[in-house]
This record gives sequence, structure tokens and C-alpha cells, in this order.
Amino acid sequence: MSGWRGWRLREALRLYVVTDRATARGRPESEIVRAAIAGGATAIQLRWKTGPLGEALRVGRELRALCRDAGVLFVVNDRVDLALVLGADGVHVGVSDLPVAETRRLVGESMVVGFSPETLEQAREAEAAGADYLGVGPVYPTATKPDAGPAVGLEHLARIAGAVRIPVVGIGGITADNAAAVIRAGAVGVAVISAVVGADDVQAAAVRLRQVVDAALAERGR
Amino acid sequence: MRVPRLHLVTDPNVCPFDRLLALLPELVAAGLDAVHLRARDVPTGTLLGVARALRRVVVPPAMLFVNDRVDLALLSEADGLHLPELGLPVDEVRRLIGGGRAVGRSVHSVAAAGRAVVERPDFLVYGNVFETASKPGLPARGLDGLRAVVRAVPFPVIAIGGITPERVPAVLAAGAYGVAVIRGILGTSDPVEAVRVFRQALDGVEER
Repeated sequence: MSGWRGWRLREALRLYVVTDRATARGRPESEIVRAAIAGGATAIQLRWKTGPLGEALRVGRELRALCRDAGVLFVVNDRVDLALVLGADGVHVGVSDLPVAETRRLVGESMVVGFSPETLEQAREAEAAGADYLGVGPVYPTATKPDAGPAVGLEHLARIAGAVRIPVVGIGGITADNAAAVIRAGAVGVAVISAVVGADDVQAAAVRLRQVVDAALAERGR
Repeated sequence: MRVPRLHLVTDPNVCPFDRLLALLPELVAAGLDAVHLRARDVPTGTLLGVARALRRVVVPPAMLFVNDRVDLALLSEADGLHLPELGLPVDEVRRLIGGGRAVGRSVHSVAAAGRAVVERPDFLVYGNVFETASKPGLPARGLDGLRAVVRAVPFPVIAIGGITPERVPAVLAAGAYGVAVIRGILGTSDPVEAVRVFRQALDGVEER
């Protein structure tokens, strides 16, 4: 699992799909994730904000297996203990979660640690504390995460991407129509919730986004 | 594994953490056995700070338990983890936190207690035995329910929910090994005296 570094991590961050039960409109996580992977998702994040953890464990085991079979990066949001129990490839924390250094202490060297900074300073600190990648946003206005704050825009993302050596993905309000600009701003990929999880045809939505990201990366010469 | 008999469960709505931290040295000295850090809707980063502050004042023989989150229990060097009825499985938790630490499980029915038998936690917390302001509108499960749970499991059962020192003899007579309290201690005008009276009630019955 220590193989999720360097170019392999950058590749895995191209199309990063974050689960969200409310956005899925009743469709189970496993169905969404299977379709997203079939459409080209390269990373899946299990985000579990409400409901019993025993249920998260059941869902997580399904997603863990789907990702392993497909060679897709499997990340757990916030709950480091759940990530450890599931044998996830990575764990993702934000500014109000466990600090990056403490997260690293718990998961050891092999697990990927992602962090969502709000400021450039936090981005630099997280890199120094051992974060493997950053999720920066919301790039565009979004309704999925009401706690995410106002959109920070592409310039903010570009500033952070230019200040750290670890890869950066953009998140927040990203669709196939605006994803190319996120890559041009310096991101190695895009993280999405609504654009894929909320789509009527999850697989087709993932295919479209993946095409846009791949084209923009090719244009940038990676 | 030693199982504590007098448990205090935190609730920032009843007693803010800064006040609790100031009180705890005296509560522990008065005979408080265990403190469970439980706080819904508090960000993980904030909870880590609270857990570490609790660790400094919840000293042996008192034990510090973290509710639900193994990651916080590990980082705060807690003595144990307490699982909600629908939380992680006990064996997964033991694998993560290693030996020498206690694992408890909350249950709210005889059926759930039966399911807990096979996973062998160190103790169960069962309630709510009496009506309690912590679970408004939830009818008391009563001493009969407590007796049934005690009969169903081979490990200690801690009673929770509306427990007062006056009710301790009846609760112990129903087979409970100890009690867990929020308002019975933190909602009183003199929490230190409340711990002392609970302690006497628990120890008094033990001596008989």
C-alpha cells in the first residue's frame, strides 16, 4: 500500500469521488461507487457524517473491496479509526478534525494522509507535518457541504498549488463544464460529490468528467 | 481487567468542559472511578484537546474512557473505549487499542445484551433504567429490564439513566455492578458531595 505515492498518487487523484448519502437520493453507496469506478473514478472517499458507525463499517467494507478490485484509491474521511479498521489506503482530515501530525502518528507511514487547508499557511504546515496531498476548495459555490464556507476560487487554489510540492486536488462545485480550469490552475485532479453522486447516470457523469480532466492534463503536459 | 463502579459521563450542555476540568481533581479524590468523554457534534480536533486535558486530571485509580472514537482514545492515552450500541465491533477495537485497555458497550435492550455476549466487552452500560432528562420522552426501562440484562450476560452491567444515590441499593439489588451518572453528579449544587454520597451508597451495599 506504500505504493500510493509519487506518480501513482497523482494518477489516483485525477477523478476523486466523495460519497454523500443525502446526495445519492436513496441509492446505496456500493451502487454509486461501482458506477463511478466503471466511469473512470480513480479515488473514492467514504464520508460518514451521521448514522451509526456499525453501518459505516458495513458500507466501508463494500467500498474497500470494490476499490481494491479496481485498483482505485480508497480514502476515509475524518474517522482515522474507521480507516484503520477498514484497511483504507488513505484518510482525509480537515482543519477541525485530528491534526495531520497526529493522524500520521496513528496510521503510520504506509497510509496516504490528505488534508483540506483553508489558508496557504495551513497548506504549508500540513505538508511539513506529513500530508501526502491537499484538497483545496470550495473552488466554486456548492450546496453539498453547507459548512464549507464561501468559494475561494481558482486563484487561491493556484497559490497553494504553487507553494507546496505535494499534489493538490480542487473540490467544491466542480462539474464537467468548469473542471478544465481547475486543472489549468495547477490541480492534478478534481474531487466531486454532486456532479457524480447526484447524477441520474453516475457512470456517464464520471466518464465526462474524466475526459475533461484527462484532456486538460494532457494539454498542460502534466 | 478492573471494572469501575462509579462512572461519570460528560455532557457539555450540563457542565461545560472547562468547569468539569476544574472540578475533576476533587471528584476523583472523592471516589469517582471512571470518566467517559462523550460529546456529540463537537469537532474531532476540539475533542482531542478535551481528551488530553481530561487525561491529566483523571488519574489512577480513576479510568478515562473515550466514547466511540478509537483514534481519540489512542492519542489521549485513555484507559479504555466505550462503544455505543451500534458502534464498532469489540474485536476490531481491541485489535486497534491493544491489551491492557477496557472496552465497554452500551445496550438498550435484552436482545442487544444477548448480541454483546459473544463479543465479550469488559462491561455493559444498560439504560435508561429510570426516566432521565438526558433522554427526554424515552420511557424508563425499569429495574426488571436491568435484571433481565444482568441475567443475560456473564460480565458486569453498569446501570444508567436517572440514577440517584437513593436508588443505588435497588439498582445493585437488581444485579448491577455499578452506576453511570450525568446529572446525578454534574446537575447538583455540590458535585463533590454527590460523588461522596454515591460512593457510600455503592460501598455500603458491597459490604453487606
